[in-house]
Amino acid sequence: MTLDAPAVAGTPRAISSTALETRMAGHRGRTWGHVGRYALLSVLAFVVLFPLYITVVNSLLTPEQIASRPPTFFPTNPDWSTYSRAWTNGHFGQYMLNSFVVTTIIVAGQLVTAILAGYAFAFLDFPFKRTLFVAFLATLMVPFEVTIIQNLTTVTNLGLYNTYAGLAVPFLATGFGAFLMRQAFLGVPQDLMDAASLDGYGHWRFMVRVAVPLARPAVAALGVFAFLTAWNQYLWPLLVTKDDEFRTVQIGLKQLRNTSIDQVNVTFAGVVIAVIPLVVLLLVFQKQLVRGLTAGAVKG
Amino acid sequence: MSRHRTRMIRAALAAVAAVGLAVGALPMSGAGASVRHQSSGAKCPLGALKRAKGPVEITMWHSMPRANEATLQKLTDKFNASQDKVQVTLLNTITYEDTLQKYVAGLSTGDLPDLVQIGDGDTQQMIDTQSVLPAQACVKADHYDLSGHLKRVIDYYTIQKTLWPMPFNVSGPVLYYDKTKFKSAGLDPEQPPATLDAITADSKQIVDRGVAPAGFGLKTEPGNLEQWLAKAGELYVNQGNGRKGRATTSLFDNRTGREVYAWMKDIVDRGLAVTNPDRGGSIYDNLLGIGNGTHVMTIETSASLGTITDVLGSGAYPDIDLGVGPMPGPSGNGGVNVDGAALWIVKKSAPAKQAAAWEFAKFLNTAESQATWAAGTGYVPIVTAAADSPAVQELWARIPGYKVAYDQLLSGPSNLATAGPIIGDYAGVQTAVRESWQRMLSEGTSPRAAAKAGAEAADAAMQEYNARVGG
Repeated sequence: MTLDAPAVAGTPRAISSTALETRMAGHRGRTWGHVGRYALLSVLAFVVLFPLYITVVNSLLTPEQIASRPPTFFPTNPDWSTYSRAWTNGHFGQYMLNSFVVTTIIVAGQLVTAILAGYAFAFLDFPFKRTLFVAFLATLMVPFEVTIIQNLTTVTNLGLYNTYAGLAVPFLATGFGAFLMRQAFLGVPQDLMDAASLDGYGHWRFMVRVAVPLARPAVAALGVFAFLTAWNQYLWPLLVTKDDEFRTVQIGLKQLRNTSIDQVNVTFAGVVIAVIPLVVLLLVFQKQLVRGLTAGAVKG
Repeated sequence: MSRHRTRMIRAALAAVAAVGLAVGALPMSGAGASVRHQSSGAKCPLGALKRAKGPVEITMWHSMPRANEATLQKLTDKFNASQDKVQVTLLNTITYEDTLQKYVAGLSTGDLPDLVQIGDGDTQQMIDTQSVLPAQACVKADHYDLSGHLKRVIDYYTIQKTLWPMPFNVSGPVLYYDKTKFKSAGLDPEQPPATLDAITADSKQIVDRGVAPAGFGLKTEPGNLEQWLAKAGELYVNQGNGRKGRATTSLFDNRTGREVYAWMKDIVDRGLAVTNPDRGGSIYDNLLGIGNGTHVMTIETSASLGTITDVLGSGAYPDIDLGVGPMPGPSGNGGVNVDGAALWIVKKSAPAKQAAAWEFAKFLNTAESQATWAAGTGYVPIVTAAADSPAVQELWARIPGYKVAYDQLLSGPSNLATAGPIIGDYAGVQTAVRESWQRMLSEGTSPRAAAKAGAEAADAAMQEYNARVGG
């Protein structure tokens, strides 16, 4: 018995130590898994962030430092004056304001038209619905360059040349937006529609109170996408404006870019300034965007 | 892969251009006119400006980057202040390419400037828009004397005795090299290579002596092929370089052209030259390489000289002594043609505005303006009197390289070869040459086959354009 005691005492100890070891081994395995995953993510993040980083670095260097090899990765004597020069030379004061106004109009317009059209395609029955939807999709195949001259003629004939309205009007509705919102609305269960109509909801109230809130990730994704495209426009604003009053930020940026190599640091500073609104926007809407991207991944 | 993408982009651009040109050309084809040189009918409405009450306001579109824009603005302010008949407003339309695009788009909407600065390569396209008043009409009406201008400059923009735009900013390709490294390699720093073979020989000596990893920085700039043929005194395209009639085929797949192709292939294959593209982010690598010591010579436009001098003189490159020489080329009796841009008077503007545009173009061509312009920007002064001015002489004393570009335009005979090619689809021909070089240098196509393929692609581009505009 006395001999048994240690054995008995030892057994649970042995068991528990084995279990602990197993647990620890599992934990260790998971830890290593985490380490591996984070290492991989760090590498990928580095690859993605490096161009941004080097842009910021270059904006603080002298042109000679940018040109020299091996390249400088850490600015020892940052020259912040490039930012004020970029701001003045690229007319960013006026151009940024214009870009904000135009981009806001375009984003608002696209959201309204896309939600209304997407809702109609998802929930309403009307003649030629399929044909119309295909026609909407077909517009996705037409590059903007093909319609640009016609759009310019139309906008000029409407008397909108060199105005905010002229800058925004061709982009207020897109086939892509209608398509995206239709797909999001198709994910809203029919039962909800039935329940809502029992409660006396019409289409308008159902859309505003139920469908749109449920499709929030898609709305956010569309909003950010519209913002990105509108903010980055170059050719259209160049064609439809005739003075500094209505020019947008990308024109200022290209003006900075179209210069000699003794100004490259200023160009980089201009890029950083122009990209700040986009970065802020992405940070704010990060969550909705990720959900928006995966929203259609699994059929619910 | 990338060639495929380039072709896609080119096709897309061609489509845009086609739409634009079709729209621009439609009213004219409706009138049954596909005449190319209808300058005889165009009248320069000088009287309209004289009769105009109050100042006539005109707009000029230009593509001058920051530093040059400041000089242009200074000249414009001076012009505006000097008289009360004409007031000029400048609009920066960013690049030559963008300016032409905006101009072509404006043809269908009427949103056009009164005077527009267009890159030299787009001369035929501008004529084909049938929207411009040839400067020749005003030269005639105003009894304007062109004899003070550099002949080569007037030659370039004159087609069948019609001066189309007023010349303005002119540059030319020159050889940049580091005199210090020339000395280290046992070469005479005052004797830069004058021929393509000399570039190879000097490069070999530089590499053999371990002075630099390579001798020459070869930028694959298709414009150089035009220059090399002009230097050899040969035509680049048929119909007298497109000056006796619309050019339909290229001529660079000849002895000289093949010599250039073979030279490029040889110097790159032997590791004596490093290449960099003429578009995208690496376009300055041939110049930067001289500073960084990867090679010792390169060919680049004289327009870069001011910047290069500033950068090299900034103290970051204390051991570089920059030399500038005439562009080396194949043997033959010719000379380089002009690069740069010129000023077009828009016919769709009111008569008084056309005359006002002429007045301003004339002002920018005075000896005084050209001296200010050349000293402020580094472009070649295009009137001989400007070259004698103190401002320009002072510039040349400080940076002798500028004089090289000027002298180079004075040397050689004046003929259709040195006048330079006029091509409708200029960009398409450039792409054809660029792609044939890419294939030769990176995919191992033989120089002979590459020159042939380049010429065929260039012919296809020209003929497609000609078919489109009905020439």
